[in-house]
Amino acid sequence: MIGIGEYRIGSFPMMTIGLGSCIGLTIYDETLKIGAMVHIMLPDSAGRQDRPGKYADTAIPLLLKELGALGCKSRSLKAKMAGGACMFEYFGTNLNIGERNAERVRALLKEHNIPLVKEDVGGKIGRSVTFQPANGGKVSIRRANGTSGEL
Amino acid sequence: MKLSTVQSDAIQELGNIGAAHAATTLSQMLGSTVEMSVPAIKAIDIAELGSYMGEESAAMVAFELQGEIPHGGFVIFYISKESAIRLTNTMLGMTDMDRAMNEMDESALIEVGNIMVSAFLDATAELLGFIMLPSPPALSLDMAHAAMASLVAQMGDDVDEVLLFSTELVCEEHKIDSDIIMLPETATLKRIVELMENMMKGI
Repeated sequence: MIGIGEYRIGSFPMMTIGLGSCIGLTIYDETLKIGAMVHIMLPDSAGRQDRPGKYADTAIPLLLKELGALGCKSRSLKAKMAGGACMFEYFGTNLNIGERNAERVRALLKEHNIPLVKEDVGGKIGRSVTFQPANGGKVSIRRANGTSGEL
Repeated sequence: MKLSTVQSDAIQELGNIGAAHAATTLSQMLGSTVEMSVPAIKAIDIAELGSYMGEESAAMVAFELQGEIPHGGFVIFYISKESAIRLTNTMLGMTDMDRAMNEMDESALIEVGNIMVSAFLDATAELLGFIMLPSPPALSLDMAHAAMASLVAQMGDDVDEVLLFSTELVCEEHKIDSDIIMLPETATLKRIVELMENMMKGI
């Protein structure tokens, strides 16, 4: 299980539970069948380096660097993301962190030329995500309303 | 912010007084006895939040702390989905447990949360002479971790560790189990600790 601000890289199954405004991002290499998953909480690190997985702007370059070190070519990488919800309507009106997280992730992936092939973001609903790099990079989602599906 | 034993005892005492008032109001609403636990203070690393609150369905009524410190953190009325349905049923004299949450539950939860959190904050304000006003309530009926993490993400301090103090309120007769959780920003915590220390010096 990957907690807030944590990430894993490999071919083993990975999971994040209870994503609200946080983002569960997966980056998968279809040639090498390995992948990375990170549980991002905020869009911007404002210069902080000590927990790179917590922020979109530090997490994405780090995952790409580590995947690169394992031999992944950026042209065979594909990203998927889930989360970015607004759990509380009232607070959401002034500061929608979920939406800002999702926007930042999209922009950063574009900047690094990584295609975002699927996403399940927004709304007012919690999501749990499992990622199986060894099984074709399968990403499954379970939503708080009992529905589930594949990304 | 790290707390010394004396400081955490002081906050525990404050939580005790606040929760006792909240318990009384809950007891009046249910017409039944409500027991409360000793308030617990937990410092939780955000990466570990998932082992404290998981995927379970829960209702959370959250209030932002306002007043002297404009964005002071959050106070949350937390109740599991089963307890929430039992709470509405008890208040409205219904018995059907096997049902989905509806608008009636939502209104009841917001109202109960409002009354309890107001009682909690009134009591602590009176004791400390420090005004903490609740914002209008916001309700989430969802995975507990998703709601809690979203509140932590909205805090002004970019923290890696959150300090939660929670008191469990239990009504055995109706099997209702709930919590009042306070998630203070560092500025609020500092102010509370300072006021509690001054108060104890005076005794």
